[in-house]
Amino acid sequence: MKTIKLKINGIETEAEDRTPILTIANRLGIKIPTLCNHPIIEPYGVCRVCTVEVRSGKRVRMVTACNYPAVNGIEVFTDSERVRRDRKLIIELLMSRCGHVPVIEQLAAEYGITEPQFGRGDDDCILCGLCVRVCQDVIGAKVLGFFSRGTTREVSTAYGETSEKCIACGACAYVCPTGAIQIENDEAMVQKELPLGPLTPVSIPFMQAVPHQPVIDRDSCAHFKTGGCKVCEMVCEPKAIDHKQQDRIEEIEVGSVILSTGFKSFDAHKMPQFGYGNYQNVLTGLEFEKMNSASGRTGGKITLADGSEPKSVALIHCVGSRDEHFNRYCSRVCCMYALKFAHLIKEKTNAEVYSFYIDMRCFGKGYEEFYDRLLEEGVRFIRGKAALVTDFPLDDTEVGKLVVRAEDTLLGQVRRVPVDMVVLCTGLEPADGVQEVAHLFHISRSPDGFFLEKHPKLAPVSTATDGVFIAGACQGPKDIPDTVAQASGAAAQVLSMMGRGEIEVEAATCYVEEERCAGCRVCNTLCPMDAISFNEEKKKTSINDVLCKGCGTCAAACPSSAIVPRHFTDIQMLAEIEGALYDVRSTL
Amino acid sequence: MAKRVEVLACTGTGCVAGGSYDVASAIAAEAQKKGLSDEVQVIRTGCQGFCARGPIVIVQPDNIFYCGVEKKDAALLVEEHLLKGRPVKKLLYTPPEGKAPVPALKDIPFFAKQRLVVLRNRGLIDPEKIDDYIAVDGYTALAKALTEMTPEQVLDEVKRSGIRGRGGGGFPAGVKWESARNAGIHRGVEPVVVCNADEGDPGAFMDRSIIECDPHSVVEGMIIGARAIGTKEGFVYIRNEYPIARERLTKALEQAREYGLLGKNILGSGMDFDIKIVQGAGAFVCGESTALMASLEGNVGEPRAKYIHTVEFGYKNRPTNLNNVETWANIPLIINRGAKWFASMGTGDVSENPWNGSSGTKVFSLVGKINNTGLIEVPMGISLREIIFDIGGGIPGGHKFKAVQTGGPSGGCLPESSLDMSVDFDTLTEAGSMMGSGGMIVMDDETCMVDIARYFIEFLTDESCGKCTPCREGLRQSLALLQRVADGKGKPGDIDLLQGLASMMQDCCLCALGTSAANPVLSTIQNFRDEWEAHINERRCPGGVCKELIQFAIDAEKCDGCHACVRPCPGEAITGEVKKLHALDLTKCTKCGACIEVCKRDAIHKVQRSDWRAAA
Repeated sequence: MKTIKLKINGIETEAEDRTPILTIANRLGIKIPTLCNHPIIEPYGVCRVCTVEVRSGKRVRMVTACNYPAVNGIEVFTDSERVRRDRKLIIELLMSRCGHVPVIEQLAAEYGITEPQFGRGDDDCILCGLCVRVCQDVIGAKVLGFFSRGTTREVSTAYGETSEKCIACGACAYVCPTGAIQIENDEAMVQKELPLGPLTPVSIPFMQAVPHQPVIDRDSCAHFKTGGCKVCEMVCEPKAIDHKQQDRIEEIEVGSVILSTGFKSFDAHKMPQFGYGNYQNVLTGLEFEKMNSASGRTGGKITLADGSEPKSVALIHCVGSRDEHFNRYCSRVCCMYALKFAHLIKEKTNAEVYSFYIDMRCFGKGYEEFYDRLLEEGVRFIRGKAALVTDFPLDDTEVGKLVVRAEDTLLGQVRRVPVDMVVLCTGLEPADGVQEVAHLFHISRSPDGFFLEKHPKLAPVSTATDGVFIAGACQGPKDIPDTVAQASGAAAQVLSMMGRGEIEVEAATCYVEEERCAGCRVCNTLCPMDAISFNEEKKKTSINDVLCKGCGTCAAACPSSAIVPRHFTDIQMLAEIEGALYDVRSTL
Repeated sequence: MAKRVEVLACTGTGCVAGGSYDVASAIAAEAQKKGLSDEVQVIRTGCQGFCARGPIVIVQPDNIFYCGVEKKDAALLVEEHLLKGRPVKKLLYTPPEGKAPVPALKDIPFFAKQRLVVLRNRGLIDPEKIDDYIAVDGYTALAKALTEMTPEQVLDEVKRSGIRGRGGGGFPAGVKWESARNAGIHRGVEPVVVCNADEGDPGAFMDRSIIECDPHSVVEGMIIGARAIGTKEGFVYIRNEYPIARERLTKALEQAREYGLLGKNILGSGMDFDIKIVQGAGAFVCGESTALMASLEGNVGEPRAKYIHTVEFGYKNRPTNLNNVETWANIPLIINRGAKWFASMGTGDVSENPWNGSSGTKVFSLVGKINNTGLIEVPMGISLREIIFDIGGGIPGGHKFKAVQTGGPSGGCLPESSLDMSVDFDTLTEAGSMMGSGGMIVMDDETCMVDIARYFIEFLTDESCGKCTPCREGLRQSLALLQRVADGKGKPGDIDLLQGLASMMQDCCLCALGTSAANPVLSTIQNFRDEWEAHINERRCPGGVCKELIQFAIDAEKCDGCHACVRPCPGEAITGEVKKLHALDLTKCTKCGACIEVCKRDAIHKVQRSDWRAAA
């Protein structure tokens, strides 16, 4: 492209032919005021505040810097007397329309306007068109436009009605220089959206995310909805954004696997007596946890569905745990997190807290001491399983409240406790898909559904299958310290395997006599250790000596007797039997 | 076969409003009744130009000019003139000061000093018959341009004629054509030609008349232009408020297509070209070129920065050549009679550089306080005095000339001292006004210059698109200020403030609507400052127009109680017994002026309220 030479305020500089004067001035650090200009939107040139003086030979022109294309040999004056005179009048005219808008008042101060001679108007829209242009050209939703002509010109949606096409991206409010457009937070909507959606289309998923980098959520990203926007790409300096990325499937060969597939929460819908899904102010433990997070929807505030603060909260323990109808086991973490919630509620609000428990399981370091502290904070502990949560009032104190009906076993009475909010301490269950994962890795599950460890005391992170380890909640409900410990343990086991160089294997393994193998593959699916593989080229089965534990299932099944169990061949077995029956051989 | 007598009845919009369709039909019917159908041809022509005296009928070859003809006069006209050869005296034109009628067209001063180039066919042909146009050498220029000249030669002819844009900009058309052609070749994008028939200036009807009286001249011009520039596509953007013009143009296009003059393979030359009519929707700003193109594309008619020229990137980003109706109508004659002939009319020497002068003629709509209101065409360089007094017949009612406004809302007011000024692009611009599209409004001593400025600013405030701050807010504040001055609430610093605003708007507005909005204000301040100061310092309106500053009063000496003023008064403000002095209730008087118009004793006057108060 052609390079041209020009002068700005006496400074000689070069630029690409037809670059707007404003771009060149910005590069040189020369400040020209603008109102209707924005880096991500095409220049519009309507506020006229960026007017500058351009001399070309004898000809003098007043032009707008934002869109006037520079040509060779021009001299630009951005702050001459004529420019300042014109700009001052334009600012005063803007004040006659929008006299109390901060960005205009700031400009007025810079140009020495103390008494605007056309008065101060009460409008807050300067008709810069940034919102219209960002919505139409950048985002592509095309919701906002200009209507009417001349002094009655205004920005609006079609017919002034709320538009269905508005995707609430907030771009209009973001670019508006006067604050005339505001985003309103619908508090009730916020509560509903609580569980797990991302906060914005591009965000770091949570504070502890690894890698600590933003990701784009396809469902809320404007580009995937309208084909427009991609503002993030425009402003990313290292050009790290690519909307066209797709999921990839990669195959990696490894020697060992650690399964840490976690858990899922018990679905509180299964216990309709607690009203979850029916009453807006009944939450699960995880939902309440999300609400309390400082990076969450409410910024950490504890609020009811309508945005107000609760005056009383009930915590119901053992929802879905220690329950013969659902899970008989104890989920281990619920008592402690219930205590944590109770503490948070006391810290953040003045609410009364009622904790309905069966037993208080505070087994860990400092846990019991924490429970003592809560007793002092005035949390009311009621020993008894809650039976019911209802909004049907039986007297005046229960009107507009959620009533928890529980048996107080220490008092020996059935109580009705009216509260504003109920938190269900839902238990932990095996994650979805554990059946498929277990099958894939040839490991078993215990009766409670979690992965089966090799030995509950001596080998809690190993499985019956060599090389496959388990760690964390997938092995059984546990809290974070225990999970970390298990993870370290599993990692250590893997490292020791890798670092050993040689391992001792079972002596009694099976092997395949190739000449005998017919390639029928009956044995392939039988091996519980996943030690058998099939060679497609040779059409022969072979056994991995390291994985084989010598159970003999394959040997028993092979119709050609091609599989030989070492130390347990037919001849050896028969010889052992003979030897065992030696003393009584004559009587046979 | 030409008939013995041709009766040319004007059917321009003005005369149509006066009933000229009925007049024409009545004459034809009468002629038939008298058995003269084989000898008499009644032709409905376009605007004859002398609109003050419509409906007009001209009888040829006798060259007799009749004006104010009504349906009931048809019988007399046919009987006396067509049958017996005796012109009807009472229908002839009688000049205001004279007693004797002037029968012959060529003797009437209104027509005598005009030079018809663009309006050459007015009053001669039926605009709805292409054969009439062809009979007067129509489309011969097109044939010449297609068969005897290359596109470059056509372009060169137009360049050397020096013709400058008749829409007001005064930009040399040949230069514009060349830029569009070159842009098309350089960018590899086909250009497009557009005709600007939006004519928004209040009081201007030149373009309307041209299309109504001779639409084919515009069509032919555009086809020649398309040949020179190299395009197949043309548009006419015509304003919503011109239904008759649009109808006649539509018919003209249809007839041209039938005759193979539009469409594919024009005259067998291999050139394809067609024209589409696009209608405006009532926005003055759409006369501005970038706003027009936005509207043509189907978008809101809003201008954009002209730093990127529309000759390179215009309609749908194609090189676009936009010319005014009058400019296009000149083209066929330039081709037929040559650039030298065209340049021989007008001022300056444009043979080397079109900016050196103003060649050719200009059509003006002469309106306001003038005897001969109508449409005229004069060579460039004629003086204002000749136009207003010789052609226009001077100021009616014995009043004195005060000012003439040219160029519509973008132009300025010129005082008596400018009367001998040459009417051409550059002289007018230097004097603080501009040629504009040809509106010429004459004002007398009963016009208030502050009110004129206020009127134009009010017009522009309403028509401003509102996109840029200086125009939208500047006009709003200017109007408020002007209204205050007109209401007698002006303050001493107001003139300076208005000038400051005007100056800023000239610098900073996005389009010509804004940058030229200052002109009416600035020119009236410059040329009639005394009136401004009278309004501000003395609360007086010398022209007797600004309602807050004047009052009506009945002159006790002159009123004879004839009672004529009582009925017309809308506020029922006048009371009195017949033959006795009447009284005017000032609280009911709306100052409409109806009473003054009907009073034959000249007994009602406007007085300055400030005088009256002083007297009281």
